[in-house]
Amino acid sequence: MDWSFYAQLLLNGLVMGVIYALVAMGLSLIFGVLEIVNFAHGEFYMLASMLAYFLTAQWGFDYWTTILVVTVVGVAVGYVLFEGLRLALRGEAFERSILLTMGLSMVLQNGAVFLFTTNSHLLESKLSYQNVVLGDDFRMPVARLYALGLGFAAFAVLYLILHRTRIGKAMRGVAQNRAAADMVGIDARAVSRLAVAIGIGLTGLAGAALAPVYAVHPLMGFSFVFKAFAIIIIGGLGNISGAAIAAVMLGIIESFAGGLLPLALTDAVAFISMIAVLLLRPQGLFGRGVRV
Amino acid sequence: MFIKRAAVAALACGLLSTAAFAQAPIVIGASTPLTGPVSHYGQHARWGSELAIEEANAAGGVNGRKIEIDYQDNRCNPAEAVKSVTQMLATKKYAAIFDGLCSSVALAIMPLVERAKVPFIVANASATSIAEKSGDGGNKWTFKVNPTDASMLDALVGWLNKDGKAENIAFLGEDTDYGRAGSAGFETALAKYGKKLVMADYFQKGTADYTAVLTKIKAKKPGMVAFYLIDADFQNGIKQWFTMGGGIPLTGRVLVEQVPKEVLSSGFLDGTISVQPYDVSVDTPANKAFVEKFTKKFGEAPMLISFESYETINILIDAMRRSGDASPEKIRDALPQTKYQSMLGTTVEFDKNNLIHNNAVIFGIKGGKVVILGMNKT
Repeated sequence: MDWSFYAQLLLNGLVMGVIYALVAMGLSLIFGVLEIVNFAHGEFYMLASMLAYFLTAQWGFDYWTTILVVTVVGVAVGYVLFEGLRLALRGEAFERSILLTMGLSMVLQNGAVFLFTTNSHLLESKLSYQNVVLGDDFRMPVARLYALGLGFAAFAVLYLILHRTRIGKAMRGVAQNRAAADMVGIDARAVSRLAVAIGIGLTGLAGAALAPVYAVHPLMGFSFVFKAFAIIIIGGLGNISGAAIAAVMLGIIESFAGGLLPLALTDAVAFISMIAVLLLRPQGLFGRGVRV
Repeated sequence: MFIKRAAVAALACGLLSTAAFAQAPIVIGASTPLTGPVSHYGQHARWGSELAIEEANAAGGVNGRKIEIDYQDNRCNPAEAVKSVTQMLATKKYAAIFDGLCSSVALAIMPLVERAKVPFIVANASATSIAEKSGDGGNKWTFKVNPTDASMLDALVGWLNKDGKAENIAFLGEDTDYGRAGSAGFETALAKYGKKLVMADYFQKGTADYTAVLTKIKAKKPGMVAFYLIDADFQNGIKQWFTMGGGIPLTGRVLVEQVPKEVLSSGFLDGTISVQPYDVSVDTPANKAFVEKFTKKFGEAPMLISFESYETINILIDAMRRSGDASPEKIRDALPQTKYQSMLGTTVEFDKNNLIHNNAVIFGIKGGKVVILGMNKT
């Protein structure tokens, strides 16, 4: 095996990790602020990919317009989701939120199957088959490089919002102590609503960025969301930076595992890592008891 | 006056059609994935079987009895199939159970039909173990019409070896009975020529990203790569293979109808040699008539699954007609005496493992186009 083999695995893993991070950061943000594990997160990713597919393939939208429209739709759906969850839960138990979001996941998935069938679709756009080629063997599809760039950009923007803006600091305040945030005059409802909107918006961005990369079909969200759960546990529940770093680490480890070991072990890597972290550092690799 | 006459005529037609099938209908129970990831295939299994039954009923049914079929969804999940088929067998008298479609499902149904003493006729599931466990010394109630992976790969590897292309084949398949049977079939067929797979790897069904394993395969520089992927897995795999500049032709069971046009026409897959039990372009009068009827009725061309389901139901109906009273036991006794003229141009019959050995279609990709290279006995 020459250097290009390992370099290809490293770059594949990095791209994969950033793809995971796009999905996991939204999930982590929603958990951080609301303490709700959104089991329907994968379905929002799937719906975003399907919307991106229809916008591009049926209505001829270009890549960047599609990214923008789907992300904005994701933010809007996040607002609606927050109000729906607030009405349905009315501050009640964590367990109820699990059942509710699992039910929502089933409704969304089966609704998509009913409307679009389980047939998978490949998005055939100009971007779909373009490659960056270095040397004889080293290749990276342009659509993946765009997803990589969008992932880094999303993380940077989210980080700046959370750490450099008043609304971001308010989000962190609500996540750390909702009662204290209320006492100092933070509108916890508005802040939480924005957090859910950003979380689903990030998932929309992930779905749109990955529509030219993977086949689009109603069952595509399931595998991603379970991986995302493992990532947010490894990174530290509710810790956005932790989730992003854990996602990139996992992507790279999985790529090397897939390249050097039997492929069947690749999926096990995420869950073995999760179990090891839970045993050795239950708060997660980057968890400090402080969320977001 | 006219309305009165029309009403009387309509009533008479209704009575006549009822009289045409005065006896109780013969009911076939079908288990197929009508929802879930392979429901598209389940739909084609349904269409193929419905067309065969419609034609048989139009020709007088089975000795004057109408044929009906009940479909149960199994989601390509063995647990779902066991539940639904157990319920079917407990609540109604079925003359036979049809298909299962997925290999793991068919294997799960086999003990149920053996206990219930109802013939089970497999149209689409390809796992070799279904036939290995049937017939002499095994499950006498299970009959398999489509070729097994082993028999099909025997035909393919024989063809590849003739062309000096059976060296250095890498295998990538889903980690199911389908994928595992594919690699086992390759190993057995290659062993006849003193060869073996250069590598075999398996993935969880539903995996979206294959870049790591494709990088590994590319680095091994095999002569050909055998893909045992279906539906979204196949589309993801083939697209990623293309964008990674795989540059190595494929073999195994390549689903050419799912290869993106841009990939196919680019010539990237030129040199691919694959095998399937059927291709819509097979040039026989019977197949042309089938394709025309099917397309007219369902608005899309038949595929492998529809062909296999259609021929399997025809074989079952033929056995029912020869059985006399179409009881499950008599149908089972009649099936081994089958001599059926297949659309692929051969007369097929069951072997001692209750398996039919029809022709397989060997096809290749040349100049960005799919061409049939020939047929080889499975």
